[in-house]
Amino acid sequence: MSFAERMLHIDRRIIFLVIGLCTLIPLLYPVGLAIKISPEVKSVYDYIESLPDGSVFLLSLDFDPASKPELYPQAVALLHHAFKKNLRVIGMTLWLPGTGMASEVISRVAREEGKVSGKDYVFLGWSPGASSVIITMGQDLYKAFPTDYNNQPTAELPVLKGVQSLRDVNYVVSLAAGSTGIETWYVFGKDKYKFELGGGCTGVIAPGLYPLLRSGQINGLIGGLRGAAEYEVLIGKKGTAVAGMDAQSATHFAIILLVILCNVFYFLIRTSGKTAGQN
Amino acid sequence: MTLLRRQLPLLITFVTGILFAAQYYIPHPASELMLTSVSKWLQIIAGFALILGVTSLFHIHAVKIRRKEPGWGYSFVLYAGMLGTIVIGLWHGGKETTDGVTTAFGWIYTFMMVPLQGTMFAILAFFIASAAYRSFRARSREAAVLLIAAVIVMMGRVPLGEHLIPISGDITQWILNVLNASVRRAILIGISLGAVALSLKIIFGVERAYLGGGKE
Repeated sequence: MSFAERMLHIDRRIIFLVIGLCTLIPLLYPVGLAIKISPEVKSVYDYIESLPDGSVFLLSLDFDPASKPELYPQAVALLHHAFKKNLRVIGMTLWLPGTGMASEVISRVAREEGKVSGKDYVFLGWSPGASSVIITMGQDLYKAFPTDYNNQPTAELPVLKGVQSLRDVNYVVSLAAGSTGIETWYVFGKDKYKFELGGGCTGVIAPGLYPLLRSGQINGLIGGLRGAAEYEVLIGKKGTAVAGMDAQSATHFAIILLVILCNVFYFLIRTSGKTAGQN
Repeated sequence: MTLLRRQLPLLITFVTGILFAAQYYIPHPASELMLTSVSKWLQIIAGFALILGVTSLFHIHAVKIRRKEPGWGYSFVLYAGMLGTIVIGLWHGGKETTDGVTTAFGWIYTFMMVPLQGTMFAILAFFIASAAYRSFRARSREAAVLLIAAVIVMMGRVPLGEHLIPISGDITQWILNVLNASVRRAILIGISLGAVALSLKIIFGVERAYLGGGKE
């Protein structure tokens, strides 16, 4: 077996070790490279920035703990921004396993910003049906969620004063880890009830949402950890996303290097095979 | 029996299909009221579907345990985990915290479910790296194009890439916004047309697979 063949059949644990080190070392010794802001993230920021005090902002945390590293920092950054702008925040989720996490992030950021549950924000929780939840909310929000996550009757909450349905919501952002999320909010919500919609998503599904962005079906898109880091930079509150960007840089470059090496060895084997065939 | 098994479901599908396709274009209060009621029905049905799913899961794993099929131990762990979580969850009224204090249900969620799901997703990075090394090869011209595009996008999505090659960010944006978006849109249009065609087939009773294959 030639050197190139041996390298192509390298023990995968060595690759795991390289990736592990590329993740760990930058987290321990951060470099802090500058993060360029993309137009799609800036659009979400600008829209929230343009909303007057007391506007209604609905954040749908449509993800489960598996996507926490990417979407949780997005939620934190968006909530800080919304609370700083004195928006009335409605939180909810279409993903049952994410309910506890969604409740925790909203109450934690609200506490940090000195906001009160029921007065400045409400967490509605989860209700079965996904698309039918959105339709019911579009028809009558109180029919979809008669009580909030803390069993308080929603109709009596000051934060929802003047809000009858999704038509009264100024801006909806769905942080999605799958198809039940941004696409569902567009198809069953925005299209009929005419609110402005933005999105945040994991890096894996971001390319699939660009058609919605280009056509104006969503006004902005926060993609993956990078998008969260950009938003943290925009609001001037660097958190876990910015801290994770160095690790992501290192792992991306490690994978690029591995792919290049694999192709070099592949072509070496192919060339030597052809030469052997000619001889 | 044919009436209950075939004709009645087909009739319900036809009537509701036509009614709610038309409803979208009729913004009359009566039409909106009907949508409000039916969307609430849908939520209730979805709730029952959840119960059905859990029951089915219990049944499948009970059979595995009873027959002592290979891996039945995992089914036993699943049973213990599910029953334990359901009992504790019901005991605490489904709340992770009560008056700021984490409940046992909250503890299971925060210290078991969150890290376990996070770990499952995190190990993807290791397997993707390993798989990329083994199979991401420029075997053909098309594969080479894909490889180059992937390398550029991977560089352009991280600060180090933009630091070393500043134009990589702009090229990445162009790939995502123009090449990717146009191809994805074409796929989406195809899927949507397929969905419309399938919906029409179901409404008009041409496609009947959803009725199941029971004897008539």
